[in-house]
Amino acid sequence: MLSWDELQKAKFTEANARERAFGLVDKGTFTEFVSPRDRMPSPHLPVLGEAIGYDDGVVTGIGLIGKRPVFVVSQEGRFIGGAVGEVHGAKMVQAIKLALKAYEDVKVKYPDSYEERLPAVVISFETGGVRLHESNAGLLAHAEVMDQFQDARGKIPIIAVIGSKIGCFGGMGFVGAATDVIIMSEQGRLGLTGPEVIEQEMGKDEFDASNKALVFRTTGGKHKYIMQDANFLVEDSVAGFYQQLQEVMKLPFAEIEKFRRIGSKKLVEEQLELVKLAVGLGAKDSMDVWKYYGNEDPAKLVDMGPDEFLKVAKRRERKLG
Amino acid sequence: MEREVRVWDNLKRDTEERMKKVAHLVEEGKVVKAENTVALLEGVIKPGDKVNLEGNNQKQADFLAECLCEVDPKKIYDLHMVQSVVSLKSHLDVFEKGIAKKLDFSFSGPQAGRLADFVRDGKLELGAIHTYLELFGRYYADLVPKVALIVAFEADKEGNLYTGFNTEDTPIIVEATKFKQGIVIAQVNKIVDKVPRVDIPADWVDFVIQSPKNFYIEPLFTRDPGLITDTQILMGMMALKGVYAEYGVQSMNHGIGFFTAAIELMLPTYAEELGLKGKICSYFALNPHPTMIPAIESGWVKNIHCFGGELGMEKYVAARSDVFFIGPDGTLRSNRAYSQAAGHYAMDMFIGGTLQIDKYGNSSTATANRVAGFGGAPNMGCDAKGRRHSSDAWLKCGLEYGMQEALLGKMPRGKKLVVQMQETFKEKMDPAFVDELDAWKLQKNANLDIPPVMVYSDDVTHYITEEGIAYFHKCVDMKEKMAAIRAIAGYTEIGLQAKEEETMDLRKRGIVKTPEDLGIDVTRANRSMLAAKNIKELVEWSGGLYNPPARFRNW
Repeated sequence: MLSWDELQKAKFTEANARERAFGLVDKGTFTEFVSPRDRMPSPHLPVLGEAIGYDDGVVTGIGLIGKRPVFVVSQEGRFIGGAVGEVHGAKMVQAIKLALKAYEDVKVKYPDSYEERLPAVVISFETGGVRLHESNAGLLAHAEVMDQFQDARGKIPIIAVIGSKIGCFGGMGFVGAATDVIIMSEQGRLGLTGPEVIEQEMGKDEFDASNKALVFRTTGGKHKYIMQDANFLVEDSVAGFYQQLQEVMKLPFAEIEKFRRIGSKKLVEEQLELVKLAVGLGAKDSMDVWKYYGNEDPAKLVDMGPDEFLKVAKRRERKLG
Repeated sequence: MEREVRVWDNLKRDTEERMKKVAHLVEEGKVVKAENTVALLEGVIKPGDKVNLEGNNQKQADFLAECLCEVDPKKIYDLHMVQSVVSLKSHLDVFEKGIAKKLDFSFSGPQAGRLADFVRDGKLELGAIHTYLELFGRYYADLVPKVALIVAFEADKEGNLYTGFNTEDTPIIVEATKFKQGIVIAQVNKIVDKVPRVDIPADWVDFVIQSPKNFYIEPLFTRDPGLITDTQILMGMMALKGVYAEYGVQSMNHGIGFFTAAIELMLPTYAEELGLKGKICSYFALNPHPTMIPAIESGWVKNIHCFGGELGMEKYVAARSDVFFIGPDGTLRSNRAYSQAAGHYAMDMFIGGTLQIDKYGNSSTATANRVAGFGGAPNMGCDAKGRRHSSDAWLKCGLEYGMQEALLGKMPRGKKLVVQMQETFKEKMDPAFVDELDAWKLQKNANLDIPPVMVYSDDVTHYITEEGIAYFHKCVDMKEKMAAIRAIAGYTEIGLQAKEEETMDLRKRGIVKTPEDLGIDVTRANRSMLAAKNIKELVEWSGGLYNPPARFRNW
């Protein structure tokens, strides 16, 4: 594994789950919970004759960003596409539970300065959602993670980091969308139904999954950033994400909560406006929507590097202050 | 004595008769309208004809293929199709409809499963599965086409053709057909006043048709560096150190898989670090692999001759005429026959992946229910017995050949390096090393004369797995070869039969080398070794000249 300093320079798309978990918090502060040495694989996969992973495809642990304890969940796309099974899900849930416990502890221990020590949860998504081999347990895990999100509302921020190869799809697309803050890179992708499934169900004319340029224009970080689904767009490096996390951690919790896209009646109304727009605009391509939001030459944005893109891209304006 | 009067131009007369029947379909020059194509085919083709339908590895005469499916099977039947690649649905539909009966080919790909069904169900009589050169050779012997249905980018009204970047098989098909009094019909994307250059001269072409849609072309040789695994990188490092450097291999053909893509992307990194620049990898018979861009840009490569083109590489290749073969018009000319000839005779090494290896060291990509063929691999993946020129790599390999003396006595002779790479387990924990190749099952299922083997044991010189390299050619007999296979077969059932003392002995004698024996630090075998880690970085290396197809654009 690369050292922390090497990791910062490395591409985020190239980093595996463990490297991401180490690299997203301050140097030398990460400790893994139930590491592969503890051997906690899925009990269901051997029954089906499938290979197991001693971490069940997810790395969880704790580190620091500044004074704030950060509970990290990092999914490994190279293990069954990062799909969530029973153990994988339980590890996610427990990490958030521990963050909530830390929140209570910090409040007791530092009654005057707990705001600057407020714990946070960072989830580095790389998943297609439910692991079909253990479907019910996997579905339940999704629901339990959502429950924890509800428990965390108004207490600690939950931040999604999306920039790995598989993206964040399926049931985990809902989970990703339900976080407080979403940080993406251009290579990150967020959605519900995967491109191949859309093509299979609706036909190639509706969505050509082999046209990767189209897939990335529709589900990738640039589009999500323009649409305000992603709050921040960063370059494809571990440092890019880490530095953005540092910036977010400096903000008061009330400010962080404003980044949410769902979770109140007003926010739901804002989303419904978008549904109306999608129908009304009759867009054939995400570039039509980019143009609608004031990007005169949307095709140019596709090949643009992140720095220049951030300078020139025009985004949907959010109605809430 | 009276001399017997014989007619010596029956073929010509027959062709003239056919040409007369369709004369009314010709517009200006040699142009036939697309909507008259079926009538044209019904006019010039007779039952039982040998017909070449140009299906290349990449470009496809798809419009003509579809039109051939529409001819009346009561008028045209029992055709004998001779074509290098069977890849479109229509290529087999002509058999389903009773228009064609027999097939001689080289490679099938996506239609391989259906082809196996057709053979088994008696819908198609299979002549033979060939290598490209072998089939091309037969075009000039017993498989001369009467009618060739070919494809080009552009034509003028007189029939001059521009096949350009994807010339591929066209010249060799046209020459065989036309010079044996046959008929050549070309579909083109566009009829123009003047073609950029003449790849096929007008008097070798009888009809040109502007097809309603541009012909189909497949980007077969693009490997996304983003998908290369650490194991492939380790095996690539082993190949570079244990084979490329060991023999100083200067000329070669690379397979299309991820193993060689990894090697190409490590020339400017790992191989550079080993000080190999200029000592290896100067000459290639190779399609314009996008993964070659970093090595070319770093000044590694002197010369590449291409079998075909590759979508998106047009501008890049055109801008590197010191490396590629570029016409006076400024675009690449590929040619499968010449490149295969170079691959067979002029290259010191063939290296590529396989699927299955049996306990004797025979290697094949055949699976039980697909008649896929091997294209050009067996032609390049064999010792060129007619080779008479020498090179350092060829000589060294011959010197090491364990059976040399048994076969030739004290006579020195070189040997081509034929390197096969495969991880011990494939996807879904499927072992790559097997007691018996699936090729045997395929032989039974598709009723073939022999099991289709890609590279025979006596041609392979090196096997590379993540466990080690077997210097297979050094073995003195089959017993030793089988031990060498076991030694690198890992935890497969074949590998578990390895005996420790036997393997140790092979390692001592340099017949088997592990990464450790080669002095490779396994912890360095990760993706940071790659000069480009994704398609976008390849575009950057090319200075924006490489224009990847949409399906490879991860942004």
